[in-house]
Amino acid sequence: MKTLGLIFLLAGAGVAAQDDTVEWLGSYRQALQQAKAQHKPLFVEFRCEA
Amino acid sequence: MLSPKDSPLGKQLGRYVCVRITRMDDVDVGLFDRDWNNTIYFFAMNADEQIYFRYGGRDSASPDTYLNVDSLELALRQGAEMHERGVKLPPRPKALYPREIPLLVQRTFAQRQCVECHLIGDFQNLQREQDGVLDKLTHLYRSPDIKTLGIELDVPKGLVVKQASGAAAAAGMQAGDKIVAWNGAPVLTFGDLQYQYDKVDRKSTKVTAQVERGASLEIALPERWWWTDLRLRQSSVDPRLDFEDRPLSADEKKKFGLPADGFASMVKYVSDFAKIRKTHELRTGDIIYAVDKVERDDLANTAELFLKLRKKAGQAAALSVIRDGKRIEMPLQSYQLSFRK
Repeated sequence: MKTLGLIFLLAGAGVAAQDDTVEWLGSYRQALQQAKAQHKPLFVEFRCEA
Repeated sequence: MLSPKDSPLGKQLGRYVCVRITRMDDVDVGLFDRDWNNTIYFFAMNADEQIYFRYGGRDSASPDTYLNVDSLELALRQGAEMHERGVKLPPRPKALYPREIPLLVQRTFAQRQCVECHLIGDFQNLQREQDGVLDKLTHLYRSPDIKTLGIELDVPKGLVVKQASGAAAAAGMQAGDKIVAWNGAPVLTFGDLQYQYDKVDRKSTKVTAQVERGASLEIALPERWWWTDLRLRQSSVDPRLDFEDRPLSADEKKKFGLPADGFASMVKYVSDFAKIRKTHELRTGDIIYAVDKVERDDLANTAELFLKLRKKAGQAAALSVIRDGKRIEMPLQSYQLSFRK
């Protein structure tokens, strides 16, 4: 199911990404700096893992 | 399961710098404002922190009603194109940090507890209530449901309407319409639409939906358009009552000799906790026709809603009840659900 698939797809894309998977940073400040340097937009995910 | 770079979603994500935030301690909750009872939520923005789109949103039925791989991919594509075109965006929202909410500081930071997403909203409302500025219709009943207007979306296609009925159909909305603006604000995703809908003044009588075919549709807001089921909000500030009810029909009101414009309601569910907490002695099938001798209200159509709107958690009330044809009086003691922290 594509709805639940979305959560798993993104959940699985770990912060420590492998070469062939999307990289997710863990620091907002670092991501902001990287977006500025690379002239890219930011995609920010919020999820509660507590 | 991973998001491979060469998958359709991975290709779109690759156009962005992606970041995942799981702790809210130092996050600008003014910039990233949303309904805090979403389990997952996304923002696409530029490096000046101006927002292209929000992705997420939910309804009372499920946290993932509007989450879908295809619609996310579509939004990511559109957001990246906006970025490349240098589309002018509204200024960045005003900053607000969790440490500026005194009750949140007292109950989380001071106790070295994690600031979870939902706690932001919970403590904002608790703080508002303590400061005397809580507007229940706006702050408690967040994220009005577009289905109340008769709008059912074709979720994988973003804001394409699958079916229009009720107020939306009366305004001219049709299946296949793509909503592009809500009350004048551009919307790209359901998250955008729900956020803009939430900003509508609760006293409004209409809302404007602009659709891609060029029409601007004026939708008449039905009574209680703002109402949503609060049960998804586990630690909100509403008075807990341990019962649920339904409005009486006009015929039922007539049968029991009750005013047609009153909020008389029939109890349809009583929680087991009512006995444990001594909240009340209501039974399924009881008819509540007055609270503190009040039978009518401008907003409420049931006794339960009257209590939610007009009472503070922890306050008591006197219920006027019809049981087995006899009129009786009964005390009710509401309570506030303890926050986890």
